[in-house]
Amino acid sequence: MRKTLWAALVALAAIQAAPAVAQDAYTVGVSAAMTGPGAGIYAPVVEAMRIYIDHVNSRGGVNGKQVRLVVLDDGAEPSRAAANAKKLTQDNVLMLVNSSLSSTYAPMVAESKRANIPLYFAGSVCPKETYPPADPLQFCSSAFGANLDSQGALAFVKAQAKEPVRIGFEAMAIPISRAEIDYAETLSKTMGMTPVEKQISPPPAPDYTPYASKLKDANPNWVYSWAPWVAQVRTFEALRRLGWTGRYVTWAHLNAEEELARIKDSEFYVIGTNALFQDDLPIQAEIRALTHRAKLTYPTTYLTEGFIAGRVIESALKATAWPATPQKLLASMNNLKVDLQGLRGGPLEWTQDNHFRTRQHYRVWRWDSAKNAIVRVQDWQAIEVKRP
Amino acid sequence: MQLAVNVAVLAAIYALISCGYVLIYRVSRVLSLAHGELMMLGAYGLAVTASLFVGHPLIAIGSAALLSVLVGVLVYVLLMRQMTGESVLAAVLTTIALGILLRGGMVLAFGTQTQYPLQQLGWTNASLPVGPSARISAAGLLLILGTALVYGGLFAFLRMTRWGIRMRAAGQNPLLAAQRGIRLHGVYALAWGLATFSGGIAGMLLACDAGVEATLATIGLKAFPAALVGGLDSLAGALIGSLVIAFVEVALISYVDPLLSDVVPFFVLLAMLVVRPWGLFGTREELDRV
Repeated sequence: MRKTLWAALVALAAIQAAPAVAQDAYTVGVSAAMTGPGAGIYAPVVEAMRIYIDHVNSRGGVNGKQVRLVVLDDGAEPSRAAANAKKLTQDNVLMLVNSSLSSTYAPMVAESKRANIPLYFAGSVCPKETYPPADPLQFCSSAFGANLDSQGALAFVKAQAKEPVRIGFEAMAIPISRAEIDYAETLSKTMGMTPVEKQISPPPAPDYTPYASKLKDANPNWVYSWAPWVAQVRTFEALRRLGWTGRYVTWAHLNAEEELARIKDSEFYVIGTNALFQDDLPIQAEIRALTHRAKLTYPTTYLTEGFIAGRVIESALKATAWPATPQKLLASMNNLKVDLQGLRGGPLEWTQDNHFRTRQHYRVWRWDSAKNAIVRVQDWQAIEVKRP
Repeated sequence: MQLAVNVAVLAAIYALISCGYVLIYRVSRVLSLAHGELMMLGAYGLAVTASLFVGHPLIAIGSAALLSVLVGVLVYVLLMRQMTGESVLAAVLTTIALGILLRGGMVLAFGTQTQYPLQQLGWTNASLPVGPSARISAAGLLLILGTALVYGGLFAFLRMTRWGIRMRAAGQNPLLAAQRGIRLHGVYALAWGLATFSGGIAGMLLACDAGVEATLATIGLKAFPAALVGGLDSLAGALIGSLVIAFVEVALISYVDPLLSDVVPFFVLLAMLVVRPWGLFGTREELDRV
């Protein structure tokens, strides 16, 4: 009995001591969809972020202090994200990070406001509040950006098309994808294109052929899709099996490089803001080496987004003098320029007014059957991100 | 014509999945809400066997199918058998817990990346012409043929074999069946094995068509209205229910609004529950209110 009591006391003391240790490090709290729907998109981002931060720590940390990344799984459920955010703020984290579905944003935004600490979206869709004029607490580095992506994609279609464009659209029945495709449909009209059909498939559909049949019947020569990868690629594959021969442009998610090589269709274009590993940049060699050392199960090509998030966190903390407070960190995030060493078309820059980035750069790729390789169809094209 | 092909493929998917719900419910009165996850396990099973038996696709498919039967039997022996004597609700809740466990386990074991067993088998999902204007994928055609074979086999098994007749007897009156010397646990284990086999086949064919990832289990839930509309204790009902739901879905996509396709099957289900709660071909007196 006495032994049990002592053991309990020692355990309690250890639990009490843990936050004290954490106070000697920059602590960042992450709530992420490590399991559940969407884990395939978010878990690689967090894993890459984690190995980057481990790498930073192995080099002595930031400003002589270790960086402590506390990752909690929300399973893409708002209630769990709310509980995670609460727990993390109670643990006195300097910053909250969200890598999850948009349904988890509201509770995390509320908690960030209540605790007055920055909320950084890494790998998850950038909320409109990060665009200028930005919310004071919300920041985002994720590759995709609502409206800008459609502007980039439709500009590419216009540049490529030699004939009048009859365009079809495909979205998934989730608010963010539907809103973007509605925007693209309106935008296409202003760019002289003829929108012919819009299909919205549920998440997930057992068979995408009925949706593809309706698209094909409208006879588009281009189809644009901005949705989770499953909806984008299954619709395309169903269209091809139905005998459609048009061109398809879609968003380059984390798995785009692998998928282009799997699909091997020269009229299937992906547009994105992260460089592919075919570039073989020095920073990509570093990512490969770190991934190999950490024995990560995800392909290296999935990890760019997480490394960018890691670099952003490192840069923001570097400009936050010790002893760090959320307010000092906020000040550094409001004036941040991160050199991404070629992982994107330019540096990531946040200002007081713009917590998204001042410029968004787009590249387009496709599979080249003759070369049996992925080829770049369009090099970096910049879009200025300004107040509407 | 393409509309008919699309309905046939979707109905085949739903029928193949919903026959698992029906088999288990018909024999043991338990509604297995882990069926979607067991289907997904079948798909992952194929991904594993395809990588183990490279260059031998038929061996890979056969062993994945056998694995599905084994998993179903094990689920009964290790878990559902322990629920003997407990309320139906407790058994249903156990299947929910099993589903959560399987989903988490599969993420841990197989990760979150999409896997493509068809590629590993060395096959391609070709597009085949159907008449002058319609097309079907090879996986879609296999789904229709697979459904016909599974249902044909099950009808023959239940009517013509000793174990099939025992299974029907156990479903109709377990007490009397036990008094006549039928080993109920053996019959129930077989029902779970067959249900998981049919679900596994559905999972494997879906994986061949579109790959396998963590969201595949959700499709299991989509087949649920088909089973209920047809009647939870009728295999023929599951087939007809699947056709009804598939037709409603595809017609809505084609002629009304694709957004409705996801919710209207559940409206059809609700309407059926109000008008005829035992379904089109279900048995009225066998219904339990859970």
